[in-house]
Amino acid sequence: MGERMNATTLKAQALPALLAGTNRQPINFAIGLAELERGDTTTGTLNALSLTAQALRFERPLPPANFNTEPSIHDERNILPNRMRRTLIRILKEKKTSDDLELALAWAFGRLKVRPHPFDLPRIDGFVRAYAEQLGLTAQHWAAQQNDSTAAQQNYFFADALDETNWSQAPLAQRARFIMDRRKEDAAAARTLVEANWAQENADARVRVLTALETGLNSGDQTFLEGLAKDRAPRVRSLAQRFLARITGRDADHPALKACMERMHRSTSGLLKKRATLTLELPATVKEHEARLWIRNAFSEVSCSELALALDMNEAAMIDAAEKDEKLMLALALMATQDRRLDLLEQIVSSRLKDAWEQMSLCGVQDLGLMPTDERLRWAEILVRPYAGKPPASYAAWSWLHRSLEAPVPEALMETVLRSSRWLANLLDEKKAGPEWMELLAAVCPSPLRDRLRNQFASLDAPLTLTALSLLDILDSLEKVGHHE
Amino acid sequence: MALSLENVEALAPDQPSLDAARKLLKAGSWPALASNDAGLIWGECQGSGSTPYRVVVSEIDAGYKCTCPSRKFPCKHSLALMWLRADGKLSFGVAAVPVWVNDWLSRRRGPTVATPSEGGSKASIEAAGSGDPEAKTDPKAEARAAVARERNRQEREDAILAGFDDLDLWISDQVDRGLAGFAAHSAQACKLIAQRLVDAKSSGLAARLESLPSRLFSLPEAVRPTATIQELGQIRLLSAAYRRQSEDAEALPAGLKADVRQAIGWSISREALLADLNALRVQATWHVVATLSEVQPDRLRRLETWLWRETEQDAPRFAVLIDFVPVATGAASSGYSVGDRVEAELVFYPSAIPMRAQIARSLSGAVASDDGLEIPEQSLSDAYRSYEQAMQLLPWIDVFPLCIRGARVRRHGTQLFVCDSTETAEPLALPLSPAQFSLATPLLSLDTLDAIGLWNGYSLTLSWAQTELGRWVSA
Repeated sequence: MGERMNATTLKAQALPALLAGTNRQPINFAIGLAELERGDTTTGTLNALSLTAQALRFERPLPPANFNTEPSIHDERNILPNRMRRTLIRILKEKKTSDDLELALAWAFGRLKVRPHPFDLPRIDGFVRAYAEQLGLTAQHWAAQQNDSTAAQQNYFFADALDETNWSQAPLAQRARFIMDRRKEDAAAARTLVEANWAQENADARVRVLTALETGLNSGDQTFLEGLAKDRAPRVRSLAQRFLARITGRDADHPALKACMERMHRSTSGLLKKRATLTLELPATVKEHEARLWIRNAFSEVSCSELALALDMNEAAMIDAAEKDEKLMLALALMATQDRRLDLLEQIVSSRLKDAWEQMSLCGVQDLGLMPTDERLRWAEILVRPYAGKPPASYAAWSWLHRSLEAPVPEALMETVLRSSRWLANLLDEKKAGPEWMELLAAVCPSPLRDRLRNQFASLDAPLTLTALSLLDILDSLEKVGHHE
Repeated sequence: MALSLENVEALAPDQPSLDAARKLLKAGSWPALASNDAGLIWGECQGSGSTPYRVVVSEIDAGYKCTCPSRKFPCKHSLALMWLRADGKLSFGVAAVPVWVNDWLSRRRGPTVATPSEGGSKASIEAAGSGDPEAKTDPKAEARAAVARERNRQEREDAILAGFDDLDLWISDQVDRGLAGFAAHSAQACKLIAQRLVDAKSSGLAARLESLPSRLFSLPEAVRPTATIQELGQIRLLSAAYRRQSEDAEALPAGLKADVRQAIGWSISREALLADLNALRVQATWHVVATLSEVQPDRLRRLETWLWRETEQDAPRFAVLIDFVPVATGAASSGYSVGDRVEAELVFYPSAIPMRAQIARSLSGAVASDDGLEIPEQSLSDAYRSYEQAMQLLPWIDVFPLCIRGARVRRHGTQLFVCDSTETAEPLALPLSPAQFSLATPLLSLDTLDAIGLWNGYSLTLSWAQTELGRWVSA
């Protein structure tokens, strides 16, 4: 009875009654709370409420029994400079920015081995999730955490420089590139690495890694490729079959080639000198606007050499024979790109399919796979050369070239645009080009020409060029802090 | 304040306003652009009509005015003018301040270094007592008005006290039913009693009760019953304290009495505060460390700007400027950005823990600064102790700023905590506001950081952190 009122008494006597309701469980003021009930019980209850509230407020929050162990991420990339952070966030948060702007940024981050500031990742979450592979280990960890709560268990110790011990933990693109490089040095050793890890790969990864085995394909790969005949993924089975056909020289097992051959017609023409002529007949169900897509799908699994072999002629003769059929030329251009046969592509584009750039752009984005940067540039130069001083004013064509290259366009092309006083003006007059065009030009502009592009932008209205100029600033800034290979 | 694109972004009510402003960045849209080289810029923007809109912006505090009929504040013309200034691509000729700009300056309430009303005919508080014959009023009318004011005041006091009888009854009913399940029916219950308290002219307490359900639902379900006890207990404490100060003027210390009256709904106007010679005034360089924006149930947006005093002196280290703007205007920022530094004299509202203030005099415009803060050498436990001390002085204190040296962010499941980075005798871990989970996650990788946060008794809202990777801010 004589017990002094304190926080413990309040929590022991008043708190349960307040929670349960004093109708059901009245507060027992006799035990340590007599001071509160000076007037009536109602006032005593309200006083008990106030004091219990204060007692609870003075309780310190209890720490949890344990904390999660956070993975230690050794991201050695340089961080985007502070002065560019807000600009990056601003342009990525703008609703109307083009995809090319995001792609240019992501590829620049990847190519120059720079990463966004870790504190900015939540603010540019969509961008980070979409392009995590290009943005470094911290960004990959962030994206994995957002997509999957178990991602924290992954290993983030791997470095950008891969070797036999850590290659399998790297992002897919880096893995495929590593295998391709390794194939050049020691094809058998690279295959052994792939075989050892094959069971853990998903279908996408299996296709990408298997594509990398095309480099240095030899008879030693036959056993491994034969084992893939029962792979769960049809794409893997089909690719393995193609490689096998190439090794063994048998074309009977190449359904895609057979399908193509069924659509090809061979004839002869000429009065004095008989020349072979090839034409492509599309199925009757394929409408005109679907033709390019059909061509791309039909010829995507066939190589130039396989087709030439099946036609019993060499590749140069095959191109000569197809010169009258624009659709077949387009198919050959796509195949030459896929086979990385730039000599054939040059032959196709230089005299026969001069608008190959625009034609190919209508077939969808060209995946140049593991083609090295310098080879990609050469590929682009071949495509743009026929346009000489007058590049097309088609947004789709420029965007396609950018996406295919995953880098700025060849300097010569941009030089043409910058040298012409009318090209940009015509674009604005005729096409009523908006900010997205300026962003695309900024995205594809090679670094030595950015200042000249800025000068051209200076004469345009600010609303058109504001984001494009910001993009140029960020790309310049990335170049300054990045590692050049 | 040198206007920056970040300021413009922060001030914009929404993205479409920025998009619309962007279209006005052409020189052709602005027949006139000028500045007085002392923080004022103005221009005329050609709209769809024949008469251009007149736009003026004060760079010192990002104040603005436009003659267009837009209901968005700032409108696209004001935003465009700020944008043009921040961008620096178009030149602003130096010119004499036109009459329409002076007119706006004389009418505006906000702080400015310019004193356009000097020499003008506008009445001022000082002039009221200066013996100026024009300022004199009829003594009888003044006496009648004073009597009327006193009668109104007394009527309000009576109404408030009568309202508290209803409040006590309502709280008793809730306690009788049990507070464990109060949160489930709190929306309806609180709305009813809040309306009664509005009728009883106790608007402060009414607002507190009206926002109680949303506060409870922002907490984890497990803590809602005890949080209900804390919240209702504080409300009951406030009403009891109010009764005491009305029965006996000396019952409470002056600061606490002022707190009680403000919490109940007796507001102090800015003019009255500035005229109060006894009010605490502190002249210093202040850093903006947090900006908060919250929509209240009464459709007013509450904008808080938290300031941190740079120099060590015997005065409040923190101050908070609070503005209320109608939600319909779209304004979502006070014009200050985290990181701004401003030299000003602040006048504090009377309180046991002076924190809320008004700018009495701006000595410089706000300038964006990358400088770090000299956060005092105190651990999380020390900082929390200062909160406990504040609670002893002001039991219903709501948000309290904490300065922590050597803190660390850690994770338990999906909840982040701020802890001391080293082992301490009294291990303490304050839960971070769930709304900050994503933004604060990058801090998990850091071993130590110095931080400033706002503790509301349930969770900490981290507003500023100095780390090896640079400054982290929540806004």
